[in-house]
Amino acid sequence: MLYLSLVLGRPILDLEGERVATLKDVIVRLGEDDHPPVAGFVARYRRRDFFLPRWRISQFREDGVRLNSDILDLRPFMRRDGEVLLARDVLDKQLIDVDGKRVVRVNDVQIIEAANEWHVIGADVSLSGLWRRLAPSILRTGRPVEVIDWADVGYLATDAATVQLKSSRGKLARLHPVEIARLAEAFSYQHGTQIVESLDDETAAETLEEMAAERQAQILGDMDEERAADILEHMSPDEAADVLGDLPEEKAEDLLNRMEDDEQLEVAELLPYADDTAGGLMTTEFVTLPRDLSVGEALARLREMAQTPNMIYYLYVVSGENSWNLTGVIALRSLILSDPSAPLERVMRSDLQVAHPDDRAADVAQKIAEYNLLALPVVDDAGEILGIVTVDDAIEILLPKDWRNRLPRLLG
Amino acid sequence: MAHERTNVRTAGTRLLRRGAQGMRRTVARRPRVFVYLSILGPGVITASAGNDAGGIATFASVGADHGYKLLWLLIPLTVSLGIVQEMCARMGAVTGKGLSDLIRERFGVRWTVLVMLALLIANGGVTVSEFVGVAAAMELFGVAPYISVPIAAIAIWWLVVKGSYQRVERVFLIMSLVFLGYIVSAFLAHPQWGTVLRETVRPNLELTPAYLFTLVAVIGTTISPYMQVFIQSSVVEKGIRAENYSFTRADVWIGAVFSNAVVFFIVVATAATLYSHGEHVDTAAEAAHALRPLAGPYAAMLFAFGLLGASLLAAGVLPLATAYSISEAFGFEKGVSSNFREAPIFLGIFTFLVALGALIAMIPGLPLIRVLLVTQVINGLLLPVVLIAVLRLVNDRELMGARVNGLIYNLAAWLTTISVSALSLLLILGTLFPKLFS
Repeated sequence: MLYLSLVLGRPILDLEGERVATLKDVIVRLGEDDHPPVAGFVARYRRRDFFLPRWRISQFREDGVRLNSDILDLRPFMRRDGEVLLARDVLDKQLIDVDGKRVVRVNDVQIIEAANEWHVIGADVSLSGLWRRLAPSILRTGRPVEVIDWADVGYLATDAATVQLKSSRGKLARLHPVEIARLAEAFSYQHGTQIVESLDDETAAETLEEMAAERQAQILGDMDEERAADILEHMSPDEAADVLGDLPEEKAEDLLNRMEDDEQLEVAELLPYADDTAGGLMTTEFVTLPRDLSVGEALARLREMAQTPNMIYYLYVVSGENSWNLTGVIALRSLILSDPSAPLERVMRSDLQVAHPDDRAADVAQKIAEYNLLALPVVDDAGEILGIVTVDDAIEILLPKDWRNRLPRLLG
Repeated sequence: MAHERTNVRTAGTRLLRRGAQGMRRTVARRPRVFVYLSILGPGVITASAGNDAGGIATFASVGADHGYKLLWLLIPLTVSLGIVQEMCARMGAVTGKGLSDLIRERFGVRWTVLVMLALLIANGGVTVSEFVGVAAAMELFGVAPYISVPIAAIAIWWLVVKGSYQRVERVFLIMSLVFLGYIVSAFLAHPQWGTVLRETVRPNLELTPAYLFTLVAVIGTTISPYMQVFIQSSVVEKGIRAENYSFTRADVWIGAVFSNAVVFFIVVATAATLYSHGEHVDTAAEAAHALRPLAGPYAAMLFAFGLLGASLLAAGVLPLATAYSISEAFGFEKGVSSNFREAPIFLGIFTFLVALGALIAMIPGLPLIRVLLVTQVINGLLLPVVLIAVLRLVNDRELMGARVNGLIYNLAAWLTTISVSALSLLLILGTLFPKLFS
């Protein structure tokens, strides 16, 4: 096994063992392979870099590289698509360890020989890796190293635009969106955007929802508009409306108009409400049932629904088919436990708590906490239900600020 | 099903039925509440952080020992501070990364070790100075250092590790605003404004060890290495980016001018009250004398109050920021919400710096003001290391693209770096070979 730090700067020898150049970098080809193969080397000769393809090398060891012929082809080095330079793009950079769910910095890279090919197997992130690069060889100890298997590398934060880990695409999705959001926030805004872009629409939407509002707006603002609109469609309407409210007006309008009609309308309806009111807090995804149904019919409808909203624990009873006039609420629990033939009217509670769209967000949150509710319906002057404020949004308001952004700020 | 989807009723589908489909919609602007409308941006806050315990001691000594003679330094210093801080703020906005992050990624391990070592020593020195500030302030209230310092150290450690430091931070910040009293005091002391103005624009350089020492201390406390790290991280944390950077540039320059204006009045106030009477600043009580025109007999109390606030503020922030920078550069686990098992090095550095600062400040018979000056000199001596790293990074086209320094800007920045290095070198030589300047 080789360590990158120990082979860099080593001589490149010809057949006779004469030094012809110095090893400057190792080129790796990223692809579907979990442990990407070495594709060649960057050699330095008289202050110029040239390219040595893999097939010209007969030996690659800790003491240097040996060529398999005496003909030296001085082709200048040019990076090709999908190629990574280990010293330039990987060493000292940060990456996401999907297994440990954390961001680490690469102190060294491990390379092994297998079946006459060299492969990158892992990134050394231990103190020993640092020490190996600092101390003269005599002082090096055989202390244990901590290596991240390259198969667990979910994202490599490098500035080379052509380098994106194609093989890593699925790996990040193994993590929970909350975790992806937390990890992405550890990177610069450019890398954060790349991380979200690399996810599928659904995961990207869920990940964004876990991030700070301004950051969501920034990331979506940086993206290709069509992609951003696709992700917005997958976000819950209230979150999407919040993000659009944080974007510059023109950009928000552009993104909104690129969204599919259904989602666009849901979001558009929420946009006029101020952030700190019940209207700004509510989501428009909820279930209503006409009051003349029986419990059994209601349950059957729930089962047949094409797409269920997240919040189905409260079912809102309206005065009739196609009506929005709120008359009562039934908890899913009592619906399941009730006699299927009983009419909804008898099972529902009609003395329910409601909010007005202009109510202050803090008051709404307070009410949800006070009455131990999972959601509070928002009802307009005509008694029609407009949306619901769910408990998770209320918690965000009730928790002290310090708890929400636990990343300590240095100043201000 | 007759009502296939009408049972999932969203407000959106309701609009659909009204025939709004396909219409091009405009985004109605929601009324925005500007919760955070503050004049104090990262630039102003960071520059003002330079006026901490070490800063106050240095500027008070400058005024008391040299009168108005060093005032000329403030103009080039303001320009240098602005340039240096602006470069770091720009790097933060363009790259989205912290300074130690960039140093590690561009320069590799060896350089990183060098810069981080410089930062650790410089910040260690400043941390010591903050605890010395606590000791000096509490002494004015009649509390002995071996009581006040350990309590302060434990309280700070606890508050930071428990994550509630942010809440008290603001109190300390407001306490330190007392130092604005120097501005009033400077006017009340009726200095000879003619002399003041003349000395402000007329440079004079003496090649004596004492003069050089003061010079390097003033530079070191005005452009401290930690300030570059601070400004860049707060720009990154605030999510400021290349597109909306112009506000931050203005903020940085306002900060540089504002903080040096405060310095100007501190020097004028001390020069007018102490220098003219041949008094020196050897203790905090003497430094407080410059506030007498404003507060009369309460000058010492007022001074102590401000000093305590400023010192406690920085005594928490500095060790924390140092631990962050080093952990960031070397990839150690970091964050105050983690415990010793998860982030041993991060919490270790933080604890070490707090403990070191407290222990040194508790040494009996320590010449407090002298120690404060020495820590600022260390800052000045180590500043070139950080400045060179900053200059190399900010001129890296791969990193900064078109936003590298311009020619004149580079000249000014290099001039700053070279002058600071030359002065530091002279000071070291002068200290090693005292006969050199005689």
